[in-house]
Amino acid sequence: MGKELSPQSARRSARLCSAAKHSNENDAVGKEPSGSCCPSICDLVYGEEPISFDHLLSSFPGRSSQIRGVLQLLGPPNSPMLPVLIYGGPSTGKTSIILQLFRHLSRPFVYTSCRTCYSPRVLFESILNQLSLHRPNEDNGYSSAKRCEKPSEFINLLRDASVGLVKSLKDKTVYSKTKLSGVIDGNMVYLVIDNIDLVLEWDKSSSILPFLFSLYDLLKVPELGLIFISSVSPDMFHSATGSLEPLSIYFPTYSDEDMRQILMRDQSNRKLYSSFLDAVLGPFCRITRRLDELSTVFATLFTQYCKPLGDKQAVPNEDMKRRLFSHLQPHISHCLSETFQITEKVPLEAETSKTSGLKRGRKMLGSSDHSNELDFHMCTSARYLLISAFLASRNPATLDASLFDSYGGSDGRKKRRKISEKSKGLKEAEEEESLMKGPGSFPLERLIAIFQCLTSVAEDPFEEQEDPEGSLSVQSGSSALASTLLLQLSSLCNSNFIVKGGSCPLEGSTRYRSMVSEDLALKVAKSINFPLAKYIYRG
Amino acid sequence: MTLRQRHGGGGVLSSPRSNSGRSNREEAEKASILLRGRLSSPTFIFQPLCHDSFPDSNYSKLKFLISASIKEACNNSLLLLGPRGCGKKAVLEIVLEDLLLECPDALTVIRLNGLLHGEDASALKEIARQLCADHQLSFSKTASFDDNSQFLMAMLRESGLAHKTITFVLDEFDLFTQGKQRLLYALLDAVQSVTSQAVVVGVSCRLDADQLLEKRVRSRFSHRKLLFLPPSESEVQRLMNHVLSLPMDSSILLDYAAEFNKKLQDIFAHASFKEIIQTFLGSFPTVMHLKTFLFQAISSMDLDLGYLTLKNFSSSISCIQRQPKIQALKDCSVLELYILVCMKRLEVKEQNSYSFNALMREYKSIHDSFQMSDFYSQQMCLRAFEHLLQCGLISFLDCKGRSQSIEFRSVKLLVSSAELILGLKSHISCPALLHKLAS
Repeated sequence: MGKELSPQSARRSARLCSAAKHSNENDAVGKEPSGSCCPSICDLVYGEEPISFDHLLSSFPGRSSQIRGVLQLLGPPNSPMLPVLIYGGPSTGKTSIILQLFRHLSRPFVYTSCRTCYSPRVLFESILNQLSLHRPNEDNGYSSAKRCEKPSEFINLLRDASVGLVKSLKDKTVYSKTKLSGVIDGNMVYLVIDNIDLVLEWDKSSSILPFLFSLYDLLKVPELGLIFISSVSPDMFHSATGSLEPLSIYFPTYSDEDMRQILMRDQSNRKLYSSFLDAVLGPFCRITRRLDELSTVFATLFTQYCKPLGDKQAVPNEDMKRRLFSHLQPHISHCLSETFQITEKVPLEAETSKTSGLKRGRKMLGSSDHSNELDFHMCTSARYLLISAFLASRNPATLDASLFDSYGGSDGRKKRRKISEKSKGLKEAEEEESLMKGPGSFPLERLIAIFQCLTSVAEDPFEEQEDPEGSLSVQSGSSALASTLLLQLSSLCNSNFIVKGGSCPLEGSTRYRSMVSEDLALKVAKSINFPLAKYIYRG
Repeated sequence: MTLRQRHGGGGVLSSPRSNSGRSNREEAEKASILLRGRLSSPTFIFQPLCHDSFPDSNYSKLKFLISASIKEACNNSLLLLGPRGCGKKAVLEIVLEDLLLECPDALTVIRLNGLLHGEDASALKEIARQLCADHQLSFSKTASFDDNSQFLMAMLRESGLAHKTITFVLDEFDLFTQGKQRLLYALLDAVQSVTSQAVVVGVSCRLDADQLLEKRVRSRFSHRKLLFLPPSESEVQRLMNHVLSLPMDSSILLDYAAEFNKKLQDIFAHASFKEIIQTFLGSFPTVMHLKTFLFQAISSMDLDLGYLTLKNFSSSISCIQRQPKIQALKDCSVLELYILVCMKRLEVKEQNSYSFNALMREYKSIHDSFQMSDFYSQQMCLRAFEHLLQCGLISFLDCKGRSQSIEFRSVKLLVSSAELILGLKSHISCPALLHKLAS
């Protein structure tokens, strides 16, 4: 679990340390020939003390062959390298290993991530800022060193910046061997571009990606090593006319044994945690092999596991393990079906707040609680509105009249019969189509019409007792109704039960779409004693 | 001892004349840096192909064409075509380098790249910038399109009067044809006039690049084309020899270099090395791939041993011959495999498009008929489905419809059934049921 935190903390510490360096190493570095009081080249090295190779290997279990592979491609100091692509699923240690590797090598590097640099311009300027040792701060109005938007401008600026930097690195190693040889090794500068797969979603990805991958050939600065980090495999980057393929190193997901080793780190009671992992690691690994997800679930599950124990440092024996396991069993099965929801995963906790209920609704798949009661509060008219939206999305508009009009009831039955007589193949195709299309969209007028039909149908005294206000607003049937309805609708939209779709090309009015699953709709209907099943059209 | 300390200890020229193991390591490091430098240079590997002794080579033809237009003060335009990584640009660079050595005052080279300067405005700006830099003029960033094109025309006229040839190198030529082709028109039109003296060289990996030109541009193009092909096997042998042999006249110890070269020749003569090269050329024919192959081999060289071994090459080829899909399949969890198999079954049933919901129905039906133990809630399946989307094993059919939620968008499988079966076989904990369902 400690490992999981490391990419972020490492990145942050790299940045923090360079910031800290700025203040305390001024006196050490400020005397350099080119050194002004602003950030120096030393800031490009990983901030903290270099670590040994053995320490590097031991801090990343199961990754030794990858670390060696990257190290080999980087080569001895001052050796040029071809661009390298490092790829592998999320939470396989790509970023943290690269950063720690540079800490071990103490060579200068520039790190940018396409996650924070969300557009070409921000990416280019961030790289240039770091290379030209410029830091946006209060004095310069948080502006970048160079303004550059187009790749053609970037390439010239980048060439100038990196050539200048390499030159000053060479000067430093020649003139002040004593002082800097311990701080900076070699005169290569490395450019690490993280999360390059996110570029695929940018607007101009078809031109930016080939550009980034051919950066090395365009620049012709052999002292600048390029490292790309991606969480998708290189064949996702293929373009129509092809591009130069970088060397690639694959980071596979951890094996079960490595995963255990990683999760065991930083555990105070290793024996207890090991017996806990015996119980949970197997079943959870069948669902997901992503360490970040597993570690969050295990953190909460482990507290559950430890609950019956008085002494957290107890060494478990066989009997105790069995007891703890039987205690944990219901939690495991719950967690397995609940997609690792951490906020309210324990079923014993009856108290659920409205926000968490909404969160669950946002999953759009309904909660899997078996009780009849909804676990969130919603006023009656909102419930009706939800149901009518569900019906409007679900049923074809042509059937509305036959379903809700009391006179046209017989007609509707006839229609239904007709459909059932149709051939089975056609029906299946239709069903397939409805599955494909998803919920239909509807205009506001239709929603209000259905809503009024529903409220007039379900006029039993029980409802009026329960919520006089809701029925009042329904019966008043004037502008007051419309305004409250619209209010309810907008709050349903905000909580993602109903989604605003595109406007209708003919009428120009906004169309809505209900995102509620059938289970949830049935449950809501049940809570207000509404016979929803009767109204759902089944083709 | 850590690597860092070792690296730090290895001074540049501390003890060149001792023959102990330590200096061997130093020499090996130097050799490795030298070889890496050769491979990272864009032109070095192509040098054996560029000799005046082969009159039929692309090098000789290209050199003849460009030098002719320098000497006879005429205009020319041509296209260099061929697959990526076959040395179109490298040969051109070598030719230009040679010509710049022969007659430095009579040649100006303007280099453009379609990736960077695909738009006419930025291309003209870059041309103006490079012309200014060449002639020590001051370049104005704010000059308009019109200014720049007038400047270009004036420069063409002036250099024609001074008998100076301007060579325009348009890399990724196909990308210049995307817009209104104003730049191409301007350049090729200028090439028609007698006052100017220019050569326009387009470089493209699209063999139909000249078909992309508009009629008015095409009629001004000379239709000279040079085709670049992947190297033959004997050429590959020559290139490897050229790149990997250490020079006898550098700072590297003579004994070491001789020993290194001798061992290299032994490897080249080895039967299994020839086999490796055969399999390599079978799947990766171009020089670019040869470069990455050799780079990988050199970087895996054991610096303590100091010499390349056969193992370096065999490990390098296994590194290059990776199958990302199979790797990704190996990394899947069991639930993700189930989803992939369900998708494959839907595809076998010839359902041309299906969404997550259809997928879930198939999953449930499998569960109903086989009573498998791995049955999870829809939410879990959705999560697994998202993972598959992330790692690129499946994708949405259309890029549009982002407003719709994931369950309703139609998806497709990005692995072939053969790959899927292979992946299932190599997966550690794949249930037997899945093998049965997939085949």
